[in-house]
Amino acid sequence: MRRYEVMVILDPSLDERTVAPSLDQFLTVVRNDGGTVEKVDVWGRRRLSYDIAKKPEGIYAVIDLTAEPATVKELDRQMNLNEGILRTKVLRPDVH
Amino acid sequence: MKPRRTPRKKSNPLRGVSYIDYKDADLLRRFISDRGKIRSRRVTGVTVQQQRQLARAIKNAREMALLPYASRPRG
Repeated sequence: MRRYEVMVILDPSLDERTVAPSLDQFLTVVRNDGGTVEKVDVWGRRRLSYDIAKKPEGIYAVIDLTAEPATVKELDRQMNLNEGILRTKVLRPDVH
Repeated sequence: MKPRRTPRKKSNPLRGVSYIDYKDADLLRRFISDRGKIRSRRVTGVTVQQQRQLARAIKNAREMALLPYASRPRG
């Protein structure tokens, strides 16, 4: 099990109140595989330094979790398939 | 012999920062130029190790659109 930090940029046209529940839905993968989610921090709407998918802003969220490498890989894959998610970054804060 | 200027030692601008976090855009912004380029160690006065951590953090922050990529100024 390893600690991960996942940053997600979501589509700004989404309602900010629906962000936390929809992220939670993604995180069921982690819980089902025996991992734990420590923290979900929704930053809210923020201006992007450059346009992503022709959008000037995005909704940022940072998730701290502990899981197996394969689980996180699957989580990242599922997030990238979703239209409402513009970009993700998975990082291990322990080695960075 | 040309007289050499003795370089003045700068105080480290990262004093008190233990972990250089790519999420801390306000901190990282102090280490890029107005064109978005990473400032050299000679300019910023940080240690070798810190400069590497800074470069990595800035590049991660760029990927997540927290900082701009190097660009030509507008106009």
